[in-house]
Amino acid sequence: MFDPREVRKDFPILQREVNGHPLIYLDSGATSQKPKSVLDAERDYYENHNANVHRGAHTLGDEATQLYQDAREKVAKFIGGRSDEVIFVRNTTEAINLAAYAWGLDNLKKDDVIVTTIMEHHANLVPWQEVVRRTAVPAGRQGARVEVVGITKDGQVDMDDYKEKLKFKPKMVAFVHVSNALGTINPVREMTKLAHKAGALVLIDGAQAVPHMRINVLEIGCDFYAFSGHKMLGPMGIGVLWGRHEILEIMSPFLTGGGMIDEVFVDRATYAELPDKFEAGTPNAAGAVGLMSAIEYLENLGMENVRKHDLQIVEYTLEKLNKVTNLVILGTKNTELRSGSVSFVYEGVHAHDVATILDSEGVAVRSGHHCTMPLHNHLGVTASIRASFNVYTTKSDIDKLVLALQKVKQVFGK
Amino acid sequence: MDLYREEVMDHYEHPRNQGELVGDDIMTNRDSNASCGDMVQFYLKIQDGVIVDVKWKGIGCAITTASASKLSEYLQGQALQDLRKMNEEDLVKKGIGFEINPGRIKCLALSVNVVKKLLGN
Repeated sequence: MFDPREVRKDFPILQREVNGHPLIYLDSGATSQKPKSVLDAERDYYENHNANVHRGAHTLGDEATQLYQDAREKVAKFIGGRSDEVIFVRNTTEAINLAAYAWGLDNLKKDDVIVTTIMEHHANLVPWQEVVRRTAVPAGRQGARVEVVGITKDGQVDMDDYKEKLKFKPKMVAFVHVSNALGTINPVREMTKLAHKAGALVLIDGAQAVPHMRINVLEIGCDFYAFSGHKMLGPMGIGVLWGRHEILEIMSPFLTGGGMIDEVFVDRATYAELPDKFEAGTPNAAGAVGLMSAIEYLENLGMENVRKHDLQIVEYTLEKLNKVTNLVILGTKNTELRSGSVSFVYEGVHAHDVATILDSEGVAVRSGHHCTMPLHNHLGVTASIRASFNVYTTKSDIDKLVLALQKVKQVFGK
Repeated sequence: MDLYREEVMDHYEHPRNQGELVGDDIMTNRDSNASCGDMVQFYLKIQDGVIVDVKWKGIGCAITTASASKLSEYLQGQALQDLRKMNEEDLVKKGIGFEINPGRIKCLALSVNVVKKLLGN
């Protein structure tokens, strides 16, 4: 097991001060900080190997292409898929948009159903709404539709409702692996099995899961799995859509142009093999190299240890925050079913006021609806505060959060 | 901390000019920040080009509430032609009178935007 206090030393930004206090970074769910090795890997790519990939017969071009390919293989091994099933995109949002447009527009028509849940990030709801809008012919009529599964009082997917919604025989079931707002870990294997039985394909938003636990897409059994590099210690601007080979093979491309073609004539083109078919234009090769380095960093810690540490911090946070008066903690009390974050409401004080006061003490948290407006409406909460974690989060960070919350009490008198 | 100093907290805890105005001569408008659930509505009573009464209602954080309260005090008795010469920055500086970090600027801007809509600025 690693010591997060040692891990911290690998992250240069964690040495800085904010508003005269040492930075306590509890906003890793929005984006994680990066270890020096990731920053060095990106820098090394640009300083020593940079050229455009898949183009030009020269040494740098070969090196850049090889590194880009190495990164793809690293990702594939990390999540248990094949390297030609790994499509590099910018982030989870783009990955889901790719699937929604490239698969959805060809396969969804009037009266088809997409099932999703009330706890989705906007990234796994709005693309489906948009696909639905485009399946309406003529415009404005009823096209395909989205059915939304509710949650239990405990903040878990309501499995009875899920089974009810599957009776609509959906073509696509899209849900989050770990909720970014509630921290709930969903039973993705069971949900996938049930969805497949109902005849649907399954897309999983893994943005908040991949940073904290070992993921194997084959064990889960899903058809698409989307995640971002920047939440798992990697750089911004690189993300992954993993898709099952036989589905990707028959899908239309998402973006078209250079890099994704086989042959081009003035009036038509044939497309490249996987995964290039889905990667039009110059890719973020440096970002992919950074992501490869992030995966190496996580593998050195060991994903089982990463999850163990995550669980310890979640448990400690719940224990400490439960003792603070005026806090309402969102999500399940069953810590085994939680990962990555704890969200709460400070009764009588607006979330943004809490966040600003915490920031004045050097503590960075997220405040607002965390891109889950339907969930917040459902909970009857306008805005909440989220403390979210990564491998460098220490129990002392949580103690500082609790201390800083006392400052809120001082200012607001409650 | 400085932002939540006494004056701001006083306006938050005891907001001035809260309420509604009704009548044919009342101008009213509202705006909201969907991302934080805040909403502010202003009511102005105008006679001979001068604001003779101001009320406002809304829900929001301490900064939104205090800035609406401060702005309502400032607007009282002002001539429309003077206010119409003011841009957003002037209204924040003179009308509200406190500064904020960039992440919270939307809280100040909410009331100012409502007043700008009313003035047609």
